[in-house]
Amino acid sequence: MCYTLREHTADVAVEAHGSTLGNVFAAVADGLTAAMCDELAETGDRFSFSVRAESREALLFDYLDQLIYERDVRGVLPAAHEATVRQTDDEWIVDASARGIPFADVDARDVKAVTYSEMRLEETGNGWEAYVVFDV
Amino acid sequence: MTTREFGDIELRRVREHVWEIPQEGEMNAPARVLASEALLEQIGQDKTLEQLRNATHLPGITNHAICMPDGHQGYGFPVGGVGATDATDGCISPGAVGYDINCGVRMMTTNLTYEDLKGKEAELVDALFEAIPSGLGGGGVVTGDAETIDDILARGMEWALDAGYATEDDLAHCEDEGSRDDARPEYVSQKAKDRGRNQIGSLGSGNHFLEVQRVTDVYREDVAESFGLEADQIVVLIHCGSRGLGHQTCTDYLRRIEKEHADLLEELPDKELAAAPARSQLAEEYYGAMCAAINFAWVNRQLVMHRTREVFADVFDRDWRDMEMRLLYDVAHNIAKKEVHTVDGEDRELYVHRKGATRAFPAGRPELPPAYADVGQPVIIPGSMGAGSYILRGGESSLDLTFGSTAHGAGRLMSRTQAKQEYWGETVQEELREQQKIFVKAQSGATVAEEAPGVYKDVDEVVRVSDELGIGDKVVRTFPVCNIKG
Repeated sequence: MCYTLREHTADVAVEAHGSTLGNVFAAVADGLTAAMCDELAETGDRFSFSVRAESREALLFDYLDQLIYERDVRGVLPAAHEATVRQTDDEWIVDASARGIPFADVDARDVKAVTYSEMRLEETGNGWEAYVVFDV
Repeated sequence: MTTREFGDIELRRVREHVWEIPQEGEMNAPARVLASEALLEQIGQDKTLEQLRNATHLPGITNHAICMPDGHQGYGFPVGGVGATDATDGCISPGAVGYDINCGVRMMTTNLTYEDLKGKEAELVDALFEAIPSGLGGGGVVTGDAETIDDILARGMEWALDAGYATEDDLAHCEDEGSRDDARPEYVSQKAKDRGRNQIGSLGSGNHFLEVQRVTDVYREDVAESFGLEADQIVVLIHCGSRGLGHQTCTDYLRRIEKEHADLLEELPDKELAAAPARSQLAEEYYGAMCAAINFAWVNRQLVMHRTREVFADVFDRDWRDMEMRLLYDVAHNIAKKEVHTVDGEDRELYVHRKGATRAFPAGRPELPPAYADVGQPVIIPGSMGAGSYILRGGESSLDLTFGSTAHGAGRLMSRTQAKQEYWGETVQEELREQQKIFVKAQSGATVAEEAPGVYKDVDEVVRVSDELGIGDKVVRTFPVCNIKG
């Protein structure tokens, strides 16, 4: 699982790959973290959460939105993301966790929101690929 | 006829600085770009024109979708975009407002001159950086409980006045006197309120900043006098928005539109243009929530200004009232407002979406504060931290050309990733200080690199086009002295 920050005139884009849906979700989240901070600290406790949505793309959007929310209300930079994705009859669910690094331990910048702009989430021969633009 | 092609998009030159993408296919209107040839060349290099053309697909879009001279690629609707949609049969689009609802700038004047400040720059920039919350997790000037948040959302700067953070004069010099009557706090989610409670009175990060400036050039003496501006004067410019509360409000409504108005969304070429049909329940709820977030942003900038007054009082050892630290004006960059405009000889109520664009009403519009009724609305155009900023006044042609709008800044030219490859924050800071006597302090070197002067377009050219088109007339130019960034 890996990510790359891509060029965007005004904002930041993340391209990510993963062998499973969960892995690609977590890789995009790692890219989100990288967009906010160049050097991570090893501090912080893990926290868990789950998100449900009506489609895979909506789930990715809501998962990343939840991470931004958790960041603001917990006062930590979420990092070292883990995620598993499953489907029920009528919805998609991600069970996720992240290590919340206290803001005092890092030089971090704001990312305002996840966007649907140019969003891609596709299955490839080697797993899954995603592209997400974040509003900074 | 002069034409220019960028990919599959052909623009026809209508007249000096006005370029048109003709209506075709699924477009509901033509699109227009207001730019010199040099600016158009830059605008054509990314996806701005494609996004502008997409914006013409919004139902009820009136006259043209318009790109300002500082336009650049955003997400969905271009930054520097203006789109007026019919408030009865059209739509309102959270995507055409953007995530940072009422991101904007305000300027405070003083009676200090540059001579008064010389020698105190380092002390002042340190004191401002220490006192004004900025960056990720920097907190706010106040922390709000549920009741306080709802009061701020409902009443905007009236809350700040009652809480002792504002004066009557501040309200008189703010758009809508700092309070939107249409605000409906009950339509702002708990999630958004949770994000806002620790951020009331904070800059945030990215391109948000506070800058102490000096007036260097006066172009229209009479208007400058009406604005209380003169050469060599010290002024303060504050740029921030509605923080996490506004970002979450936009996110919430984009997702609700996806679920409740999927049919309309399917007609649009980009999901980030998500729009609710005018007069639908969701349109009413979004408008109420957006107006509440507008109030939050006004309070946010007011509290930052209040803290700035306190810092100046400490550094100059004088009461801020003695330094005549008055609000000149506060303008929004990301907003949709119901406004009445004359279209084909008929007055129509429209949702005027301005995303990275500033309202620029000329003299005579009833919305103007009494102080500016005879000269036109002040328009504040920040440049980069190494270039000048401008104060304009709403131009006579703005109502005909742009629904009363002009540019909002210099406009980005380079991605943040590229900026960090080309610039080193500490070097940028040193050069600004040694070569231009500009004192910059930021949470991180990366932020300085991402906002280096070289990543922005030429603000002089943007303002020249605005002035020549008569949509925003230049009044004075300012130059940075101290800058703090989140």
